[in-house]
Amino acid sequence: MNDVILKATNLKTYFFTRRGVVKAVDGVDFELRRGECLCLVGESGCGKTVTALSILGLVDSPPGRIVDGKVMYNNLDLVKCSPKQLRQIRGKEIAMVFQEAQSALNPVLTVGDQVMEQIRVHLPIERREARNKALSLLEEMGVPSAERVMNSYPHQLSGGMKQRALIAMSLTCDPQILIADEPTTAVDVTIKAQILDIFRELKAKSQMSLIFITHDLAVVAEIGDRAVVIYGGKNVESAPVSEIIANPKHPYTAGLIECLPDISQTTDRLTSIPGNTPNPIALPQGCSFHPRCPKAMEICSQRQPPQITISQEHEVSCHLYQ
Amino acid sequence: MIERLQHMAKKVGRPLYGNRRLISYYWERTRRNKLAVFGIAFILFLILLGVVGPFCTMDPTMVDFEKKNLPPVGFTAVKSLYHIETDELTTTEIHGTWKHPLGTDSKGRDMLAMIVSGARVSLLVGLIATGIAILIGTVIGVLSAYLGGWADNVLMRFTDIMMTFPFFLLLVLIVFIFGPSLAFIVLVIGLTGWTGTARLIRSESLSLRTREFVIAARALGASDGRVIFRHLIPNVISLIIVIATLSIPGVILAEAALSFIGLGDPTVPSWGIILEAGQHSLDTAWWVAVEPGIMLFLTVLAFNFLGDGLRDAFDPKSNV
Repeated sequence: MNDVILKATNLKTYFFTRRGVVKAVDGVDFELRRGECLCLVGESGCGKTVTALSILGLVDSPPGRIVDGKVMYNNLDLVKCSPKQLRQIRGKEIAMVFQEAQSALNPVLTVGDQVMEQIRVHLPIERREARNKALSLLEEMGVPSAERVMNSYPHQLSGGMKQRALIAMSLTCDPQILIADEPTTAVDVTIKAQILDIFRELKAKSQMSLIFITHDLAVVAEIGDRAVVIYGGKNVESAPVSEIIANPKHPYTAGLIECLPDISQTTDRLTSIPGNTPNPIALPQGCSFHPRCPKAMEICSQRQPPQITISQEHEVSCHLYQ
Repeated sequence: MIERLQHMAKKVGRPLYGNRRLISYYWERTRRNKLAVFGIAFILFLILLGVVGPFCTMDPTMVDFEKKNLPPVGFTAVKSLYHIETDELTTTEIHGTWKHPLGTDSKGRDMLAMIVSGARVSLLVGLIATGIAILIGTVIGVLSAYLGGWADNVLMRFTDIMMTFPFFLLLVLIVFIFGPSLAFIVLVIGLTGWTGTARLIRSESLSLRTREFVIAARALGASDGRVIFRHLIPNVISLIIVIATLSIPGVILAEAALSFIGLGDPTVPSWGIILEAGQHSLDTAWWVAVEPGIMLFLTVLAFNFLGDGLRDAFDPKSNV
């Protein structure tokens, strides 16, 4: 396919610690197409963030290492790139927005300084020009009184403002791909809606591709085109968002959807998937979800399920559909 | 090369002086500490003394044996003379005069002038040696933390070796080989005194390095140099200020101690040198040793108070 801009195949990132090998990412596959929004969905600790960091070559080494797999970006394997090549790509072609705006901004520099610096890292322009560009970027992000925000330190701003500043920073070079790592998790609902609007607008205006990392299926439904559900460092299901919400195949995906509280019904207890995410040092034998799976069978604890194609766009890794 | 350096210098963050609000906040917090205020006042007084003092006093090297061992103003000393013809010991009382408010030493040099020029020497020694030590310590600490891996190991083991080196013996050795030159002494104190700084800066930078804003900066394409100069160093600057303030008195004392045991530079009248000269005449002219001693005592105390005050002011957890 021609419009695939980023393709990860069998990506494996392990951390070699004293207590054992942590298989944070253990075979993740996905394709990102030009102009689409791909959601990586999963619980905390399932390897979403490490996947994103692996794409950019930002896994701390040691102890972490990408042990296998490819990340093809425009005929370039990012896994094999030199640090210098990667630095050229980071920020300019692939940018990333982090989860917590408070900690992703340097506390001792003003927001303006940081946005301007971001501009000047990649573009050979003067301070004054950079300042103007930073101002217009912030205004584009819907920051009221951008001048004041520029001169403020991160702790003087609200979470929403900081998140916008961060997004502005990541957009300075009009990157091809924007990776957003749970950008709506640390803000409240109204800000969340506004930030999702920003992303939606971005997608509509430019041909930018988005990788949206989240654990929130409501967000996925709102912004995603396609979704990849990750569990225990592997993808378990990938499909277009409408399909995955309406017709989830994998018991884990189904469980996640059931967990969404329904505002029209009154219940005493919220549904949850029993158990915890598996210990990545000792992943369970066979399908890593089987200890929590309501439909677990004999075979689930013995063999890893193969990838099964349900329809052209819908793939699932589960023994149920064999 | 120079262009590159200028470029680097531009990149260095300016977290404090560019921010009047933060300065006034820290000042507010420091001011509440009475001892720190005394420290600031005394250090300012000392700087004033060192800068303009030498122009207001007489020549500290002027020898006048007629007026030797004059006591300070308000004090009297007993001078005994032995007459060889009569085999008699006569004693006369001499009083301090306003011409030599702090008295004179055994060669008739004006004590006030010597103390004033000693202030200049001690301050220079303290600032230059500390500057060298802080610079090396910061570079090694930040690099060690940022690079990690084997580079961290090499740098930190080197620091450990430097730490175990008995620095005072090294000083003695160097003075013995190269002769007592103040420049050498300052250099050696600076080149050996950075180890503690390196360790503190490293541990602080280690935690900073894994903070999200550093990863975020790298995710958006910042180079290693930029991360170090824009994100690591500005965040440890308050630590650097505190370490510097607290290590200045140690350096001043080291120089004085060296002079006191006779290894100082005799051509430069530092407080240590005056003290050393005065200890021989403690029974006849106590002020020669006591005056520089008091100055040393107050200076060391002032820097320590200021350092403590700054540490509390920079520490967001302490409620001064």
